[in-house]
Amino acid sequence: MKLDRLSFLCLVAGAALISGCSSLGVRPWQRDVLAREEMRLDANPLDAAIDDHMYFSKEASSGGRSFAGGGCGCN
Amino acid sequence: MQLKPEGPRAQPAITRRRLMAASCALLSAGAARSQEASVAPTASVAPTHSGLLEDWSVDSALAYYHEDGRVQAIEPVVDVSKVFADGQSLNFNATFDALSGASPNGALPSHSSQTFTGPSGKASHAYTIAPGQLPADPNYSDTRFAAGGSWTLPLTRVDNLSVGGKFSVEDDFVSATVNASIAHDFNEKNTTLSFGLFNEFDSLHPIGRAPVPGSDYALAEKQTGGKTKDGVGALLGITQVMTRTWLTEFNLSVDRFTGYLDDPYKITSIIDSAGNTTGYEYESRPDERTRKSAYWENRVAWTSRLSTALSLRYMSDDWAVRSDTAQLQLRWSWSNRERYIEPTFRWYRQTAADFYTPFILDTAKQSTGFESADSRLGAFRALTYGVKYAQKLPGLGSRAESEFSVRAEYYQQTFNEQVPVPAGLQGLDLFPGLKAILVQIGYRF
Repeated sequence: MKLDRLSFLCLVAGAALISGCSSLGVRPWQRDVLAREEMRLDANPLDAAIDDHMYFSKEASSGGRSFAGGGCGCN
Repeated sequence: MQLKPEGPRAQPAITRRRLMAASCALLSAGAARSQEASVAPTASVAPTHSGLLEDWSVDSALAYYHEDGRVQAIEPVVDVSKVFADGQSLNFNATFDALSGASPNGALPSHSSQTFTGPSGKASHAYTIAPGQLPADPNYSDTRFAAGGSWTLPLTRVDNLSVGGKFSVEDDFVSATVNASIAHDFNEKNTTLSFGLFNEFDSLHPIGRAPVPGSDYALAEKQTGGKTKDGVGALLGITQVMTRTWLTEFNLSVDRFTGYLDDPYKITSIIDSAGNTTGYEYESRPDERTRKSAYWENRVAWTSRLSTALSLRYMSDDWAVRSDTAQLQLRWSWSNRERYIEPTFRWYRQTAADFYTPFILDTAKQSTGFESADSRLGAFRALTYGVKYAQKLPGLGSRAESEFSVRAEYYQQTFNEQVPVPAGLQGLDLFPGLKAILVQIGYRF
């Protein structure tokens, strides 16, 4: 089976990502800093929701961090 | 007595509560969901007590948004969540918006005064715009109520399923969304792969009914019945613990909306070669849109007091809109992490949709293609400057602590319009941009 260029690149990138990830990270007892509130990806969910609502209603882009649906008739 | 705020003398009691909360967290850690490397739960595991919301985490905020000379809004938000001992978690949230003010209708400023009928067609809603002013409907008002929820369920020690939904109602708009996602941890939970899907169903009932797209504004041709649009999307994400102080996330997402994508209240000025406004027509957008985006976020703790969150996003769609977004947030903590200040800077730019036009030239014929003068589809840059201050306070009831915060943001859009304008429009501020402030107070416990 012949792979096209995009599929080949995806395969190489995927393999590199997975092999790279396996050498990254910390042991369970090294998670003290990561456990801090500010290191959570959703540290301030309400701030993010209020900002996203403002940007959704004023710009042509939305989403990325999470689903892009608006649930708002403002755009 | 526990509801009464405690002073410095109560420190031993606070310490005892924190130790109790930490003990409970440790006891339940074995069954807690395995998602350290992925999006962490918003709720902390609280001791179980009877009483309303006693063992739920509550996050609340009241936001006030004000645009310079245009719309203002008040938005209270509340979010409650709970993590159960078996690792399941529940989240519910509710938002209310009350908007009022003047909303730009899409028409250009003119050297002459301009009179418009409001969307309702009622004589009392007609308005006249003075020469040189940006046409905006001064009678704009809307209220919105939105409620949502999600349930996360551990399937195995390293797999989590999450399902959720959202429902919102406005005066002229109803929306329902369902979503589901699955996350898999591996590499000692340093890596999380996640995949999610959403489906959105919207129903529109424009005030005065939806106009015929592209039709002459003066004829007020309206369509019968309501309108619908639906969206479906997918998001593939990877979260990786890089080092003890560095967490990164990369998401790819795609979504497609079909149906009525017009703004029923937006019109476009028709200009003759001398720059005089000779009429208006309703905007007309394609009835489908596909967007793709890549998002990358990095969180780094530089010292015990200083951390940063940097996010980058690229988005493109088949309307020819391309956008770049960069946001940097710093957090500086002090007083044994009891207080912090969080400055934020955001930079955004977008290109215009291929059917965006600030005006239509040539009165001889109506345009037959798509067109919109909605400035949100034009080319512009936007900057946001923000700062947040938060302070830990004694907890309510059996809770270890609570947090009070106040936040302010300044948002400014600057248009990058390259369209040559007729000489008759010279001297008018055709693209005035937008300036807005947001003030928010928050309390979580």
